[in-house]
Amino acid sequence: MNCLDFRRQLNIDPHAAAREFLHHRQECPRCAQAHDRATTFETSLQHALAIPVPPQLAESILLAQATEQHRQRRRYLRRGGLFAVAAAAVLALGIGMHVRATPLATLAIDHVMAPDEHFALALTRDVTEDAVRQAFAKRGVKMQQIPAGISYVACCPVGRFTSVHMVMPGKDGPVTVFYVNNDRVAETRDFTRDGMQGRSVPMGHGTLVLVAHDTSQFDHLESEWRNALQHAS
Amino acid sequence: MSEVSSKQRQFDALVRSLSGDLFRYAYWLCGNEALAHDLVQETFLRAWRALDSLRETAAAKPWLITILRREHARLYERKTPQFTDVDELDIADERVSHMPEATGDEHLIRTAMHKLDPKYREPLLMQVLGGYSCEEIAQELKITPAAVMTQVFRARQKLKAVFGGESNEASIHELP
Repeated sequence: MNCLDFRRQLNIDPHAAAREFLHHRQECPRCAQAHDRATTFETSLQHALAIPVPPQLAESILLAQATEQHRQRRRYLRRGGLFAVAAAAVLALGIGMHVRATPLATLAIDHVMAPDEHFALALTRDVTEDAVRQAFAKRGVKMQQIPAGISYVACCPVGRFTSVHMVMPGKDGPVTVFYVNNDRVAETRDFTRDGMQGRSVPMGHGTLVLVAHDTSQFDHLESEWRNALQHAS
Repeated sequence: MSEVSSKQRQFDALVRSLSGDLFRYAYWLCGNEALAHDLVQETFLRAWRALDSLRETAAAKPWLITILRREHARLYERKTPQFTDVDELDIADERVSHMPEATGDEHLIRTAMHKLDPKYREPLLMQVLGGYSCEEIAQELKITPAAVMTQVFRARQKLKAVFGGESNEASIHELP
């Protein structure tokens, strides 16, 4: 390899490791200097291209993916729902059976234990207060105060109930919070199912449901949400 | 359920390990931070839908870059890009100067990168950010390896020109 070939290769790929390239570098002091300059430039180039990445980029992508998945699941359930409605109608007509609605507590735990739910539970960065306000507004609740530490919010159907679905990552693990407006349970009740703990609380014009692996954060969160919903309209 | 979880775990790992690289690639491709964010998000959503076709971990980054390039090309099909306008370049320059690390040589290089013709910029990005060889770039861009070598050579020459005197590093006239 001559100097011209070496310098050309230097501009094509300064990290070239071909034997003749490295040999020429050892043999020619001026080309070795040029190689040093090229290596320095390459470091500067790499640093220059490494622009700062938005801090919540990965989380926002995962959220978009979870939302899309959720939408697909709802579409699937809606399609499946048509068959279910038809089947239920036949059943009701045929044997005169009364279909009793599944309680909110059961549906809430089923929702939290859905296969794709672990994504929402893994989020740790706070969503904006505006995002939470918008979700509540869609359910007809105008929030003034928003409790801190909400990492996920979406308007989710929970069975026949329409809810604001949130996740609050606490020191003892994430707590899933549902608020179902205009559907108020009669009294506060704790429940357990499939290893999950839950609490449903009449609050405002609706029901607040908390679901987690343990109840350690329930009292504190119940109090925070009671305070927030007292100021809601 | 375990299959779903395994797919989700694979996707989570891909996003967490490669979204930063993809974002940088997208940014230098389109020159706009918000657009780069959208491009990366759409790239990963498409990747999620086609995740079963990814067989090797090592192929993940080139696979994602290919999807991102297609997304970027679709964007150009949908609307006429404005990024080569002088005004836009001025805005880009101003924005670059406000980046926290954009000081000294890096600032000069970033400004020069924005002004670099895309036909030089993209092969260089694929080499430096994507880790592609000239042959792989040629395959991706559907041009000859010799053309790729010429483009990355000229790209570096043009970038070095901002430092003055370095631009002719490889010029035959300067050789001893």
